[in-house]
Order: sequence, then structure tokens, then C-alpha cells
Amino acid sequence: MAHRKARERDMLDSVYSMLALVFILVACVELCDAATVVDVYRLIQYDISGVPFGSRLASLNHHAGSLHFSPGADLSRTVVMIPVRELNISFVTEYVSRKHPLGGMLFLLPEIFRLENGGGGKDVREKEVVKNVLLELEKLLVHAKLPYPVYFAFENDEIDAVLDDVKKNDATGQPATATTGGYKLVIPIAEPKKVASPTITNIQGWLQGLKADGDANQLPTIAIVASYDTFGAAPALSVGSDSNGSGVVALLEVARLFSLLYSNPKTRGRYNILFGLTSGGPYNYNGTHKWLRSFDQRLRESIDYAICLNSVGSWNNELWIHVSKPPENAYIKQIFEGFTNVAEELGFKVGLKHKKINISNPRVAWEHEQFSRLRVTAATLSELSAAPELLESTGGLLDSRHFVDETSFIRSVQLVAESLARHIYGYQGKNIQIFADNSSLAVNPSYIRSWLDLLSQTPRVAPFISKNDPFIMALKKELADHTDEVIMQHEVLDGMFTFYDSTKASLNIYQVASVTFDLLLLLVLGSYLIVLFSFLVITTRGLDDLISLFRRPPSRKVEVSQEKLANDNYECVMV
Amino acid sequence: MTVFHFFNCAILTFGPHAVYYSATPLSEYDTLGTSVKAALVYLGTALVKLVCLATFLKVSETDNFDPYQELLKALIGFIDVAGLYFALTQLTHRNISQNHKFQAVGLGGLVKTLNLKLQSHYLTSFSMLAGWAFADSVLHRLAPLWVGARGLEFTWDYLLQGLEANANLVLSISLAALGSLMWLRKNKPKTLIPIIYACAGIVATMPSITSYLRRGLGWQFPKVVGFELFTSLVMAFISWQLFSACQRPSA
Repeated sequence: MAHRKARERDMLDSVYSMLALVFILVACVELCDAATVVDVYRLIQYDISGVPFGSRLASLNHHAGSLHFSPGADLSRTVVMIPVRELNISFVTEYVSRKHPLGGMLFLLPEIFRLENGGGGKDVREKEVVKNVLLELEKLLVHAKLPYPVYFAFENDEIDAVLDDVKKNDATGQPATATTGGYKLVIPIAEPKKVASPTITNIQGWLQGLKADGDANQLPTIAIVASYDTFGAAPALSVGSDSNGSGVVALLEVARLFSLLYSNPKTRGRYNILFGLTSGGPYNYNGTHKWLRSFDQRLRESIDYAICLNSVGSWNNELWIHVSKPPENAYIKQIFEGFTNVAEELGFKVGLKHKKINISNPRVAWEHEQFSRLRVTAATLSELSAAPELLESTGGLLDSRHFVDETSFIRSVQLVAESLARHIYGYQGKNIQIFADNSSLAVNPSYIRSWLDLLSQTPRVAPFISKNDPFIMALKKELADHTDEVIMQHEVLDGMFTFYDSTKASLNIYQVASVTFDLLLLLVLGSYLIVLFSFLVITTRGLDDLISLFRRPPSRKVEVSQEKLANDNYECVMV
Repeated sequence: MTVFHFFNCAILTFGPHAVYYSATPLSEYDTLGTSVKAALVYLGTALVKLVCLATFLKVSETDNFDPYQELLKALIGFIDVAGLYFALTQLTHRNISQNHKFQAVGLGGLVKTLNLKLQSHYLTSFSMLAGWAFADSVLHRLAPLWVGARGLEFTWDYLLQGLEANANLVLSISLAALGSLMWLRKNKPKTLIPIIYACAGIVATMPSITSYLRRGLGWQFPKVVGFELFTSLVMAFISWQLFSACQRPSA
């Protein structure tokens, strides 16, 4: 008898230890199963000379709230979900300027701003309304310091349903906390780290002109430059189709046309053409500065003039040429006349704007100013009439594919190509169309379209593009196809700007029940089990037994155990 | 969501088994061994069932109710019954008589109507049932509960599963009682035999009925659980009546 009992005890022990082991193993498996998982894009985080800007935190673990909260509610543990369509910009301004404590902000952008949704004129009216709000919002967020996470997401059915639920809950006047249930937004991501030594890459292509025999002098050069990187509130969404995707595509198309002309020695001009795709545009054209400094003195002196392209894709009937040398300058006059003549033939106007450079001011508003600082004649062709401020018009949330108007863009390309060609081949003032429509040298709309589409799907914020990014390789290959020689220059972005990583994350939305619900459930289950227990005891052993369980008079127990012992002995004998 | 919820669901699912075991006289007769043996027999039948299912069934892409598949599943479910039969007849508990008579005399009230004499097959059937139902519950429900109920997301599913486990326990009690009536009692009134077999048949095919309701008629999970609870109570009542009916002649 004792023998058997000991064996049983051993068996039980081993069973317990195995169970414990299994539990430990299983506890290590933490699975995550949310109701909804959404891609979200973080607000940019950067420092200018040590002054912090943007959203300083990345990880998120708070309850969701909406804009319909009761005034005076404590939102320091709430993430406010704000659909941009219904945004009242004064709310955000107030919250940001007064530095109210907030758990986080989640902005919901309409679906049409998704990167994959290409052109198409659907819901243009809707875009107009949202456009102004977005512009103001972006400006506000980029120049503010927010000590909480700020994310952007695109609206879809699931997140709309969540938002409706949250609004309903908020309407009852109860903010979501641990005791009242609701939705929890979780983004499990590490602390954002500084991007060490952000690289900027300049790509240049060189088309050699026709050197006459016995001509020892260097041929004059004309430069066409465009900066290809962007900056915006959400760096993972900053595709900058117009600023400055349009400039890049215009440059590539002009390169293609001139490479056709220069491939045949009979039509090769007596000018070298230098194509430059520079980076670091939003940061006072840092890349252009470094690129120019790397030039040979002779090369720099041989540049007749440089045309910089900045946002030429969405204008109506007027383009601007911005210069820093006074308009009375002979060279400037020549360039301007050339452009004006071509523009008249194409049916639009070109205006001239003069902005003096202040050498002591580090702010470089136009790319041509970098050239002018080194005594090279340059001008910028742009649809913007005024110089943009720092980090403005650099391709933000709004600047997506349907922002570019193809017809006006094609006209800009024709303008640039024709003016250059007439200067190179000496046809100024003559009514000859070199790149006429329906000719073999016509501007190719499908080429333009495919490159614009590509650029509209590639976010290009410089510190987040590595040296060997596939996009940079693509640009290099394309330029190599059209030019004789391509050189890549890798530099480090100037120390004034510091950037932090974590631009994209996955948001998990959980529906949680409150703690009171759990406690209530525990109470209910406890009483259910107690009732079940008493019921079974009553039906099988009688009410007396049940009461005896609670009283436990010691005498009774001894009696029972003695009886048991006697019976066991009796059994043994029987068996 | 959270370990608290997991704990709640666990006690809803496994609590009744523990209560059942401790509340009835089973715990006093050291029937743990029999329960463990029953659990092992259940494991065996589950493995056999799995092998048969894997061999004979094809995986259906859609969620429709396919009568042939369900028929196959029901046939395989009878293996369950075969296992129960095997366990009941082979693993009888030997600790009998004297104590029980003593205890039985001491019981009053409700118990007299049931006239529980706690004969060997009673003890066998009920202790086996405890083991069987517990093993069933653990194997089917512990893993999903552990993995799912601990996440942050809250759903009613796990609580409904716990209720389903309770209903299954009651059904298993009825099945065991009917099984014991069918195979262990040698003197049954003739009129009641077909009813006994019919009830046993219904209880044994419960899984197919529920899956038909869920897939063929498209009932929601709470409705199905409610139906299960209702039928389990009804079957328990019927088998109780049958039990007492068979008891009376031999009293």
C-alpha cells in the first residue's frame, strides 16, 4: 500500500516538473495578434545646429482618442486620431504652441495621396480642400518641437471603423483609459538614433562637343543642373513629384535629346554640355556647393552659363527666370532674350526676377546662387515667383504625382531644349524649330511619364538614401546612356543638419477591455464555480456534508479518518 | 488580453472539472489512477482519430457544409465511443462495496431519490469521465487559450470556448452514464433500451451536429454555444431519468 503510494507520488512529481518546464518554454513565445495592422510614417526628426525640431519620440503605447474629447480632459496618455479632412488647424496650432502634454498624434490622410495611386483626376475638388490644410499643417509640424510621437497613415476601411468607434466612445464623455476599455495603439519600435554621416551624392554627366582640328582652346561649356532630393514632414512619403522631380525628368529628357544630336559628328555642337544631378537641395544647396568646389579652375572658367531647374511641372502660363546678376548684364540679357523668343513661339510668358546675394547670409534660396558665388553666370528656371524659405517647397506631403501637369511640363522641356540648342548652334532670333513635334527629335511623352511615375514612388530624403541606393544607380545608368562620361561624387552633409532614423513603422490596433470588466468576470466565475461545487456536494453527499466542510469540527474529522483506516485494513484482508 | 483574462478563461474552462472531481465522492476513493488511465485512453483514441481523419478526409477550401465529409467525421467520431467502451470494460475500479454502503446509508434527502449505491461501475464510469473530459478539454483548449487569450486584443471567443467546454463536460457525463447503462448493467427494462441507444447516438454525434450548424446553416459562434449548453442540459436530464429508471427495479 505504501509502496504504491510512494510510486504514485514519484509519478506526480515527475509530471509536475515536466509541466513546469513546458510552461516555461511556452511563456517564451510571445505572439502578437492585433485586430488591425497599419503602415504608418513618422514625422521627421532633425536638429539644426543643435536646436531640436520635429517629433522626438518613436514608440507608442497609448489609448486612442478623437477630436471630440471633452474640453479639459487629460490627454497625456491618449493618442489623438485626426483625419486631415476634418482638421481644424487652430486646434493643432494651439496644442503645439501651448505645449500641452499629449500621448501622440496620428494624422489620417485621404487615400488619394497614397504613393501607388498615380495620376487620375478623380476627387480633384476634395484635394483642393485638403491641399491648403495640409500645407499649413506641414509647415507647422516641420518647424515645431513635439515631445511625443507623430505619425501619418492612410485612411482605409479598418481604420475608419476604429475611428468611428472611438468617436462614439468619446461622445459619451469618457476618455479612454485602462478602466473603461476602448482601443489601444501600439507601435513597438526602438528609440530613434542619429543618422551618422549622412551622405549626399552628386551625379554629373559630360557631353563632349565638337573640337575643330588645330583648336587648342578648351571648348565652352553649358551646364544644366537639377537637385533631386526632397524634404517633407513625412520623409517616407516625400516623393516631391514637382519639387524637384520635374527638374530631374526635364534634365534627363534634355540629355536624351542632345545625346541624339551629339551622337552624329555632323550635328555635334561646339559646346560641351555638363549635366548635374545634385543632392542636398533643401539644405541650402549644400551638394551643389561641394560639387562646384570640386571643379578644376579651368573647367569652372569655361562654363559659359548654367541653367538650374527647380519645379517646372505645374504652372499655368508663366515661368520665371531668377538671376542674381543685375538684369542689365550682357550675358543675362542674352540668355533671357533666347528664352523669351522660344517662349513666345510656344505660347507663354517668361519673366525675369532679380535677387541679390548676401554673401554673409548662409541662406541659399536658389541653386544658381551657388554658381554666382563662384563667379559663374547662372540662372534658375522655375514656376515659383518668389524665393522659398528654408525647408519650404521641397516636396512635401502634397507633392504627389497628380500635382504635375504633363502638358505644361512638356512645354517647359521644349523651352529649355530649344533655347539651349539655338544658343549652341547659333540660331538665335531665327524661327527654326529643332525639337519640333512629330519629328524624331520631339519630346517623348512616354519617357517623361515613366520617369515621373518612378520619381513619384521614390521618397528621396537625402540622409535616408545610402550611397548605393538603387535609385541613385538608376539615375547614374540613365545619364551614362545619354552622356559620354559619368562621375559620381559622394560627400557628407554639412554638420548644421542632424537627422534621426525610424521613418516607417507598423501600427497595431488592439481592442481592449477594461480592468473592471476583468474583475467583474472573475467575480462571476468565482460565484459560478462555488454554486456548482455546492450543488454537486448537495446532490451526492447531502447538505450536512456541505455545512461540515465549513465548520470542520476536529472531532468529526478524526472519526472519519479512523473509520477510513479501519475500512482500508478490512479491504486488504478482503483482497 | 493579458494574463488576467487568460486566468479567467482558464478557470471557466477547467474549473468545473476540478470542482466535479472534488465535490463528488470520487476524491475519497483514490480514483486518480483511473482518471489518469482514462486520459491516456483518450490520447490513444485522439491519435487514432487524427490518423483516420488525415487519411480519409480532404481539406476543403470553402467553409461549406459537405455532407459526405461530415458523415466521415461522424463515423470517425464513433471511434470515440469505441474507446470509451474499451476503457469502461477493461479498466474497472476495484475498490468497492463496504465503504459505499456505509456512506450511502448516511446520505439523506435528494440522494435517496437517486439511491446511489455507488457500485463499482458507477465509480468506474464517473472517475473515467473525469479523466476523459479533462484530457479532452486540455488537449483542445489549453493551447489556443494560452496563445490567444494572453494577447492585448480582446474577443469574446475565449469565454465562449469556456462555456463550450462546460457543455462538453455535461455531455460527457451523459455519455458515460449512458455507456455504463448500456454495457455494465446487465438487467435493464426492455422498453428503455432503444431510448438509451438513441440518446447515446445523439450525444456521440454532437460534434457533427454542431459543425453542421456552424457551417451549413451559418450560425454565429454564440448561438452555437447556446445551443450546445441547452442540449447538454437536456441530455443530462434525460440520462438522469433513464438512470434512475434503471435503478428502481434493482432496488
